[in-house]
Amino acid sequence: MKLKGGGMTFYADSKYPVNDELSGAHALQFEKFAQAGTWGTADQRLAVIAEARQAGIEAGLLEAPEDGGAESTVTLPEELCAVIRTLAVDCKAVDMETYQRARAAGLSDPEYAELVAIVSFVVDLDVFARGIGVPLRPFRDPQPGNPLRDIPEEAVPEKAFVPTIPNVPDCGPFGTELYGGHFKPYIMRGLSLVPDEYRAHVALEQAQYNPLPKVPVVEYCHHAGLTRPQVEVVAGRVSALNDCFY
Amino acid sequence: MNPEALVRPELDTGVPHGAVLLAYADAVIGTELDALDNARTAVAEALGPGAVSGVAAVAANFSKNDRVANGIGIPIDDMVFKGTGELREQLGLNAYKSAENTFRHMTSD
Repeated sequence: MKLKGGGMTFYADSKYPVNDELSGAHALQFEKFAQAGTWGTADQRLAVIAEARQAGIEAGLLEAPEDGGAESTVTLPEELCAVIRTLAVDCKAVDMETYQRARAAGLSDPEYAELVAIVSFVVDLDVFARGIGVPLRPFRDPQPGNPLRDIPEEAVPEKAFVPTIPNVPDCGPFGTELYGGHFKPYIMRGLSLVPDEYRAHVALEQAQYNPLPKVPVVEYCHHAGLTRPQVEVVAGRVSALNDCFY
Repeated sequence: MNPEALVRPELDTGVPHGAVLLAYADAVIGTELDALDNARTAVAEALGPGAVSGVAAVAANFSKNDRVANGIGIPIDDMVFKGTGELREQLGLNAYKSAENTFRHMTSD
């Protein structure tokens, strides 16, 4: 299956309706996978997400699609593959040692943050496809381009494994703009060492869960047919199964 | 909502069609495709076909967030930590491996 066009056609094969906001956000993320990131080339990023997806298939958590799309020419070090696989299929086992193994395999902090981001995003998109009963979407051909490799000077060590940009008002002008001038919980700021991945994280969050300003509004319903308590049952149960304390 | 049902799904969530939603959440990140097919159909019948992409999106989103949280090693935010001691104890959350990322920085209240 070759995907053409934008969000409106992205899940055209679904038996169940998928709104344009979700389709568009997911189509855009698949395009981002195929572009150079801040730290990885497109071919390297494709190798990472392909490893994560393959781990899910081998664990029985995903069904192999007939057309998985583009394949990377990059061979990742075995130590890095182990980190990617743990993050993809055994989230509850991920800890500081996982991070230290990634660093020992040669990743810098921002490279690790980008890896965590794109593995988390591809798991997200694959869970969604499985959740509505369509084949996993094919990966797109990697596009040429070089990573910018820039580190936001506002990022500092806080309480996470990697530096993050603090909340307003300690985040400088760049952080203030990135956060829209508002408080952001750590779950969002966690990827701020790589601002482009932070923005992608926010975009998925807003389409899939709630627009951020609406998160505290319990009466707000973002998904057709679902009340906020019903949404929280699914959210809470998934996180419990993943042993996620956060 | 009864939060204890999130870790003990045999309990009543107190939410309409909560059991259907719990079964879907278990199936969508589980390995049994038949169970997922049945759970998806049950969501569509109970809440309407339009709700299927919504529950899938929420399950996907928190699959993402759990990996970001554990992968980056973030603690829970201070204000959440201070107000949830009893609930965390009740649900057994303090025993999660990822709780280390919080207790490295904070003392349980």
